[in-house]
Amino acid sequence: MKTVKSKFKFKGGVHPDYNKELARDGAIERLPLPKELAVSMSQHLGAPARCLVKAGDFVRRGQVIGEKAGFISVCVRSPADGKVKAVEKRVGAAGAMADAVLIDTTASLPEDAPPPPVLAPMDWSSATREELLGRIEEAGICGMGGAGFPTAVKLNPPPGKRCEYLVLNGAECEPYLTADYRVMLERAPRIRLGVEIMRKVLGLPAVRIAIEANKPEAIAAMEAAFADIEGNVEIVVLPVLYPQGSEKHQIYATVGRVVPEPPALPIDVGCVVENVGTVAAIADAVELGEPLLERVTTVSGDAVATPKNVLAPSGTRYADLLEFCGGATERPAKVISGGTMMGFAVSSLDIGTTKTTSGLLFLSRRRVFQYSSQACINCGRCLRACPMNLNPAEISKAMEVDDVKTAEDAHVMDCIECGACSFGCPAYRAITQFCRKAKNSIRARIAAERAAAAAAKASDGAAKKEAK
Amino acid sequence: MRAMSYYLMILVGAVLVNNFVLSRFLGCCPFLGVSKKTETALGMSGAVVFVMTIASAVTWCLDHWLLAPNNLGYIHTLAFILVIASLVQFIDIAMKRFLPPLHAALGIFLPLITTNCAVLGAAEINCKQGTGFFEAVFFSFSAALGFGFALVIFSGIREKLAHADPPRCFRGIALALVTGGLLSLAFMGFSGLVKLPY
Amino acid sequence: MIIAIVCIAGIGLVAAVSLALADKYLAVKEDPRIGMVTAVLPGANCGGCGFAGCDAYARALVEGTAPNGACAAGGEACAAAVAKILGVEATATERRVALVKCCGTRSESIRLGDYNGICDCATAAATAGGDKGCRFGCLGYGACANVCPKNAISVSDGLAKVDKRLCIGCGKCVKACPKHLIELVPASATIHVLCNNPVRGPEVRKVCGVGCMGCHLCEKNSGGKEAGHFTFDGFLAKVNYDNPPTDPSIVAKCPAKCMAEDPHFETGH
Repeated sequence: MKTVKSKFKFKGGVHPDYNKELARDGAIERLPLPKELAVSMSQHLGAPARCLVKAGDFVRRGQVIGEKAGFISVCVRSPADGKVKAVEKRVGAAGAMADAVLIDTTASLPEDAPPPPVLAPMDWSSATREELLGRIEEAGICGMGGAGFPTAVKLNPPPGKRCEYLVLNGAECEPYLTADYRVMLERAPRIRLGVEIMRKVLGLPAVRIAIEANKPEAIAAMEAAFADIEGNVEIVVLPVLYPQGSEKHQIYATVGRVVPEPPALPIDVGCVVENVGTVAAIADAVELGEPLLERVTTVSGDAVATPKNVLAPSGTRYADLLEFCGGATERPAKVISGGTMMGFAVSSLDIGTTKTTSGLLFLSRRRVFQYSSQACINCGRCLRACPMNLNPAEISKAMEVDDVKTAEDAHVMDCIECGACSFGCPAYRAITQFCRKAKNSIRARIAAERAAAAAAKASDGAAKKEAK
Repeated sequence: MRAMSYYLMILVGAVLVNNFVLSRFLGCCPFLGVSKKTETALGMSGAVVFVMTIASAVTWCLDHWLLAPNNLGYIHTLAFILVIASLVQFIDIAMKRFLPPLHAALGIFLPLITTNCAVLGAAEINCKQGTGFFEAVFFSFSAALGFGFALVIFSGIREKLAHADPPRCFRGIALALVTGGLLSLAFMGFSGLVKLPY
Repeated sequence: MIIAIVCIAGIGLVAAVSLALADKYLAVKEDPRIGMVTAVLPGANCGGCGFAGCDAYARALVEGTAPNGACAAGGEACAAAVAKILGVEATATERRVALVKCCGTRSESIRLGDYNGICDCATAAATAGGDKGCRFGCLGYGACANVCPKNAISVSDGLAKVDKRLCIGCGKCVKACPKHLIELVPASATIHVLCNNPVRGPEVRKVCGVGCMGCHLCEKNSGGKEAGHFTFDGFLAKVNYDNPPTDPSIVAKCPAKCMAEDPHFETGH
């Protein structure tokens, strides 16, 4: 085990104000069980889970309330005992509607209620790879960095592809967020155990632990935890630069490999990237039989009385998190779920957290810059900032007149929506939003084409059958 | 070697110095009409190169073997229009039959250039200069290349302009004319680049 | 002079003969009916029929792979003309027009916050579900108006409205609306429910002053359930356009004020 400096620096990137000191030194605190939980069925990337309960049902902690509904999907378990008040469509943080189960945790359970289901603790060293993968899947674990990719799918590379490097993402380059940092400080032994389990599942790849240079305590904690580990394990200290935590850029910074454009995945260059929080969750799921029911969320921002890192069950309403942190010191002008660069502005505090909610930021009027977008002045700052070597100016100008083809020719599908282009734009243009619009319309078009092709094939087949 | 540099001078002269559109102002209508997209501009350029080369060969023969011997130089414009128009129509029909892929690429542009002034202009210039057959054909080919060059540059600019938000009175063809004028001014910078054979 | 005339005439003759021969022996035959059908189609190239444009639809009609009457823009007259050319019977289509099923203007509905991004409904909807308090209502950023080939849709007071006279029923706005609240309805139907929110009455009232609460009064006033003029989706009344209500007095009796008699506005173009 050794600590090295990153040898590869990607092009572009920006330096936002990090503001991590607000919540950095607060130890993780557990939130008392809220009275009501709004557990979404769409907490991960891919198909939303299929809801298994209805209004009036009693649920136990750890009970599966949403089953896996596709290959890229994970199950959802109830974070607490209680009674289902309703199952209804709710707006998630990202704006999409999804089924949510509202659980009243104050309801007293009937005497004949079944006991909460338990996952038996496992001895990881004697368990088989399939058993471990099965456990990760049934514990409902998905990537906790933000995108929420189902972990069991990620840890099971398709045949013919081998994982050579397991990259642990502890960069946490988003401003304000300190959840991963606190997990690295306080739960270092769990991360070590999780890494050993993942190494077994992935066939003993080399391990790279990526941490930004502005977190020396986390580096020290990881060094102490991994001091006596065997095999090719390195802690890679990354320069402080946004978006260092992006999967593709992290792979480049740690092992110098470049992930080709979509649909290529990191596994195509022999890498698997996993967030440190996810790794700790894997250790809990295997060793303690504890499914992924809660996560550390940073509640921060200059409009919060006492910024904290809160361990809260998924489905906690944002209002409960704010109340736990002493409420707001003034009326927040903007509430963001996630970090300030890639997070989503939310319009209601009734939304429940998910497995991917890494932060909740309440910003005052002073921190929120109200702008109106102007014409592009061709300064090229977004080109310099773009870590994916795109031309965001061209894309935004084309999308202003709905010219999706030009945007597609400019490889907008490679965009990781990091927000570096909008961050530096002197004309305050919503460049990232234009990219998102282009990507959404391209995806919609591809989906429509596929559906049309499938329909044509079906009708063709039917016609042939008739002819026969 | 001398012949080669002579032909090179014809090429540079026709493409850059005396560009058909930007300094002779021939072929302005396709220059404005089909320059909205680089893709169609390329198709149009291909069609013009094709037609102009063939048309100049045919008109050279017509001029040298039929009109000049009979002292009929004064009706050559009339004769050329007739020949070029029917030639292009003929090529259109024949191409549709024998070369469908090429027709799909160039076909829609062929009728547009049946009576194009650039094609006629090339034939006229050849006739006036009294050059030899190969020189005449090569000059027409180069002139068509120059036309295509200008058209593709112009369409690239117009594609960018489509993303701009100009005042209402400038939208569309007005801004295209202004841009064409500026491009023409820019090409004036090439004057005196070579000693022109033409 | 004579030589000149003879010369030009000769060239003309040679050209004419060669062209005539080429046309006779080299021409690729195309069904002349394609041109005729294209001529009677409206030529708007709106794509409402599901083909790339009028030309493509005409081709498919002549080849017999497309049903006659799919052209909403041309309507019955067009279908009849096509049927005459092709010698087949027209499938009768009733003219359909788009209807925006929302009447929550800015003054009637609440806004959750200031949306400051790009002016596009789908993008606004992807940002915290849009700034409108009602999750099902019109956002008013004009995605429908932008795709309308006939400029039949205009947005005023945060609400899109369709001009019935200009609408050709191509359905592009139906696809463009991220809230799925535009529907193609028969042009002859005059009574509409202008709401798209299926949640319970009190919840609707919190966000909008003119939202349907599902009280079933419209159904009762139009002859009860047996009359079948309305269907219900959760707490939302929907007009059954196969059997639309005709009595205009039920509009005024709607306690939520979300019904209207021919709400299509007319710009007077």
